[in-house]
Amino acid sequence: MSEFHPMQLNRRTFLSQTGIGLGSAALGSLLAREGLGASSSTNGVPGQPGLPNLTQRVKRVIFLCMSGGPSHLETFDNKPVLSKMNGQAFPESYTAGQPIAQLQGQALKCLGSISKFQKYGANGQEISDYLPWHAKMADDICIVRSMVTEQINHDPAHTFMNTGTAISGRPSMGAWVNYGIGCETDELPGFVVLSSVGGRNPQPIASRQWASGFLPSRYQGVEFSSTGDPVNYVRNPAGVNVRQQRNLVDAISNLNRHRQQANGDPEIASRIAAYEMAFRMQMSIPELTDVSDEPQHILDMYGAKPGDGSFASNCLLARRLAERGVRFIHLYHRGWDHHGGLKKYMDVCTGLTDKPTYALLTDLKQRGMLDDTLIVWGGEFGRTPMSQSGKGDIGRDHHIKGFSMWLAGGGVKGGTTYGATDDLGYNAVENVVHVRDLHATMLYLLGIDPEHFSVKFQGLDMRLTGVKPARVVHDIIA
Amino acid sequence: MSYIPARTAATFALLLALLASSQAHAEKPLDYNRDVRPILSENCFYCHGPDPEHRQADLRLDDEEAAKDYAIVPGDIEGSEFFQRLIADADTRMPPVESGKKLTPQQIATLKRWIEEGAQFQQHWAYVPPQSTEVPAVKNTDWAKNDIDLYLLARMEEEGLQPAPPADKVTLIRRVTFDLTGLPPTAEEVADFVQDNSPDSFEKVVDRLLASDRYGERMAAYWLDMVRFADTVGYHGDQDHNISPYRDYVLDAFNANMPFDQFTREQIAGDLLPDATIDQKIASGYNRLLQTTHEGGLQEKEYLAIYAADRVRNVSQVWMGATVGCAQCHTHKYDPYTIEDFYCLAAFFADVNEAEHFKVGTNALPTKRPPEIKVHSQRERAQLTSLKAKLAEVADDDAATTERLQKQIKALNDAARLTMVTESITPREMRVLPRGNWQDDSGPVVQPAIPTFMGTINTAGDRATRLDLANWLVDAKSGSGALTSRVFVNRLWYLLYGVGLSASLGDFGGQGEPPVHPELLDSLAIDFYEHDWDVKRMIKRLVMTAAYQQASDESETIRQRDPYNRLYTHQSRHRLPAEMIRDNALAVSGLLNLTYGGPSVKPYQPEGYFRHLNFPQRKYHADKKDQQWRRAVYVHWQRQFLHPSLKAFDAPSREECTVERPESNTPVAALVLLNDPTYIEAARVFAARVLTEAESTDEARLNKAYLLALSREPDSYEREILTKILNENRELYQQDPKAASQLVGIGLKPTESNLDAAELAAWTHVSRVIFNLDEFITRN
Repeated sequence: MSEFHPMQLNRRTFLSQTGIGLGSAALGSLLAREGLGASSSTNGVPGQPGLPNLTQRVKRVIFLCMSGGPSHLETFDNKPVLSKMNGQAFPESYTAGQPIAQLQGQALKCLGSISKFQKYGANGQEISDYLPWHAKMADDICIVRSMVTEQINHDPAHTFMNTGTAISGRPSMGAWVNYGIGCETDELPGFVVLSSVGGRNPQPIASRQWASGFLPSRYQGVEFSSTGDPVNYVRNPAGVNVRQQRNLVDAISNLNRHRQQANGDPEIASRIAAYEMAFRMQMSIPELTDVSDEPQHILDMYGAKPGDGSFASNCLLARRLAERGVRFIHLYHRGWDHHGGLKKYMDVCTGLTDKPTYALLTDLKQRGMLDDTLIVWGGEFGRTPMSQSGKGDIGRDHHIKGFSMWLAGGGVKGGTTYGATDDLGYNAVENVVHVRDLHATMLYLLGIDPEHFSVKFQGLDMRLTGVKPARVVHDIIA
Repeated sequence: MSYIPARTAATFALLLALLASSQAHAEKPLDYNRDVRPILSENCFYCHGPDPEHRQADLRLDDEEAAKDYAIVPGDIEGSEFFQRLIADADTRMPPVESGKKLTPQQIATLKRWIEEGAQFQQHWAYVPPQSTEVPAVKNTDWAKNDIDLYLLARMEEEGLQPAPPADKVTLIRRVTFDLTGLPPTAEEVADFVQDNSPDSFEKVVDRLLASDRYGERMAAYWLDMVRFADTVGYHGDQDHNISPYRDYVLDAFNANMPFDQFTREQIAGDLLPDATIDQKIASGYNRLLQTTHEGGLQEKEYLAIYAADRVRNVSQVWMGATVGCAQCHTHKYDPYTIEDFYCLAAFFADVNEAEHFKVGTNALPTKRPPEIKVHSQRERAQLTSLKAKLAEVADDDAATTERLQKQIKALNDAARLTMVTESITPREMRVLPRGNWQDDSGPVVQPAIPTFMGTINTAGDRATRLDLANWLVDAKSGSGALTSRVFVNRLWYLLYGVGLSASLGDFGGQGEPPVHPELLDSLAIDFYEHDWDVKRMIKRLVMTAAYQQASDESETIRQRDPYNRLYTHQSRHRLPAEMIRDNALAVSGLLNLTYGGPSVKPYQPEGYFRHLNFPQRKYHADKKDQQWRRAVYVHWQRQFLHPSLKAFDAPSREECTVERPESNTPVAALVLLNDPTYIEAARVFAARVLTEAESTDEARLNKAYLLALSREPDSYEREILTKILNENRELYQQDPKAASQLVGIGLKPTESNLDAAELAAWTHVSRVIFNLDEFITRN
């Protein structure tokens, strides 16, 4: 069973992107050894036959996960009635029998937004004062104020957001997408995960969130690190240079080929291809993560200091990954769990993420790439309109019945707001968008018919969107 | 359309094609379970199956009586509305376009023939008691070594196929040593076997391997995947929990050849056995292996429901090969499990004492997961007994010996470990949760019970217990023991032959694959339970066949006709599992530390790999001493961030039951073998071994290296390639001693000071080439 697309070395790309001073003699012998024609290039990894099966509106997804669950009431969902009721008892009619997290057994009180909202852009999108840079892109983003999810604790809520179920062991959306439509690079993984430092004591995040589940392992997300090796084991061992490593890989491939001539095992061809790609990753990943070739004004636009591991740096890397054909780029910023110190930590989190998000969108736009990129922004859930008070300043608890996310990019109706919560910001009441609807919409934009995109597992046709019918939210698609 | 990637589906399609094309089979009437049911299940049962809520047109096709009410008229194609709808115009045709299902002309033909032949139904094969059959007659009477071979050969002959020639002895001893112990044979073991011309030479090897402690380690690695054993809680903070004595129990059980029925009872209900022993209590840790959490803001009721579902999924997967988990929210779409059955199974575990951890779980390492008991493993206890006996016999004036023994006893006493166990409390109320919703209290309260269609369970008391369930699972006469036996034997078969007699190791239901050799599977299942569930005996039977001992080479014809080797016309070739890849490199280099049992160990790991863990933040401390080179079965299993080297070779996170690992071939795995310090260190120590043990010519050393690593000598082409690598690197390191000392300085193992660093570094490269070869990581 081949688990790996038997691709050939793309010689031209290899040479142009290594960025490493191979001597011309070494290059010459490299080329001679490869003995490959220029036509051997594949420029990517194919997906399933027959996909995409719809018009492809976007080629890639950049998912900006605001991990911990940002408050919709301090970002995109302005609730004057709630503000008027600030401090009063929260009506029991809303909360009776509803799942509740840390506020279990406590008196529930209304907490009005601690921020002011203004209207921005041609359509007067309401955005809070915490997000001045978002305000500048009001016409580009479609705010969905009617999200709902099913899991109220972080770990299962992330699993639900990423895989469509809270049961462990299912593929994440990045894996699904790569499985379905492959990717446009054979030098980098098609699904890359980056997480940033800064903010409140971060919630943990499990590698389950980018796992391939029952799909082949090659579709799992590969995590890039801003410290140490950018990818595990991507650096040569100490005392080994590039040429030695290249020769080593060649020797391995030659001996494997020799073995294959003897036993005819087709799996060996895949192994040879995997080693080729491993070597290419060793060449291209350091080049990718080294942003020293970015002009200063770009670094300034993001607010990125190379190697600082910040959300800003990761946004810049996201653009570089997008440029190189990576299909699914998932950024985590893990400081949004504001049970207390809402004011302080909203400042910190928006301070770290607002401007870089704007920079990413703007940078993609100025390069003509926003048209075929889908950007999604949001957390695994929202926060309660009820206050939580503990040791420090006031905060908000986890909330799953109504919260906000936004989408931008190709195919998305920028400058619009979709759906609404009730007057208190508790329940999504208008044009409710369930997580599975978000998944369906994302797949649709990528050219995949979500209803018929399934894989057989334990006898069932498994879908990212799950068992219940999912809805493509056509109203937000241009 | 539906994208069916996995090999099960592909295999299945090919198998059906194989069956359909067979001349011999065309003359026999169709077999419902093999030929018809899979088509109905895949295409019809979703809407016309067991689940009443989703049933369309009030038509049920999985039930003979209902199906023949009007839809299917035996022998009457025109009168069978069922069939007419299959060939109707697009707007009324079944299955409907929206379903994404489409019957092939061949499938329609099969269904037509089935109705013409009288539309016979059968009970699903897995739920029919296994039948003894006559061993089939074969034409070639020289090949078979035992009954198993006769079943296989008869089928090959029916298909006009021949078995492969026997594997050469080197291949054979490598194969069986990996299969039974997870390790390569030593050069001496290979030489001994090759030179032993006695007729029972292979049997002697098998007996030696089965008697070795290494056997238990190998079997445990597989069992631990199924029961989802890990060192951490899995959810949220993924803190360590105390469970390593359970692993020792599993090792000991396999090594002592504990009957599988007893092994089952002790794990599910060890605490309920009369006068439960320490080991039985440790075994009951099985019920505690699931993922748990004490995340702030959790709702107890929700997590108790999650845990209950987790246990049903696991017990039904491991012992019943069933996907009962699908019935958590609704009655199963394909199999006769109802939503009530799901919660009745869950009720068996309602007495497991566990809720305390929601309150007392801490963010310390390890966290608290009461009830826990402090124990010694079986061997530690034996050691203690023997030390104490020795101490009693020491002469009064021998202070030195007394002190030494006392020290050893103290050290052992101090090494007692906590382990999670099961304690039974008053069972909490268990209700059916409509749509799986834990907040919905409208469902009926249920009592422990087995799935209704399987009958009722015997119990001495008012309420059936976990022990009753365990007994039922291994009761071949009046319980589901025959199914358990089939499920387990099929998995042993998979470990030794590469693909199960039914390829769907985890699904013996309607959507799974019916066995390719049903009579053989039945015969093995009966044999297993009739011989006291003797695992070693069964494994020995499975490897003493001619089929097991065949060469793995396949002809082009076979590759075309039977690409997944379902007819076992040759042995299978597959990449070694993650644990064996590591153990193999450590073993051939001489680094491997064969200490048995004990707490988990921590090999080198990339810095910062745990950066996403929190509560508490994690700093990984790799073992500093020779614990570094223990076997992989002992490696610390961090559910959220499994060691990247193991993960790259498809070791599962063990969040859920894994009965079959995928076998991937990725660049990420290549990077591990190329650059992980474990493999660089092993390559260097291997190089030192070659330099020290072989005659000091390059040729003799290359021969030695190949003999140690691959049990053979290199041919001239291989020698040429390796010599080139050797010379290039030798020259380079002679000019750059710093680079040489950097390379050979990798790893804790001190550098061999008597060896020239440049020479050692150059040979390290040769060793790296060998360690990365397909042949090195392939079981052949």
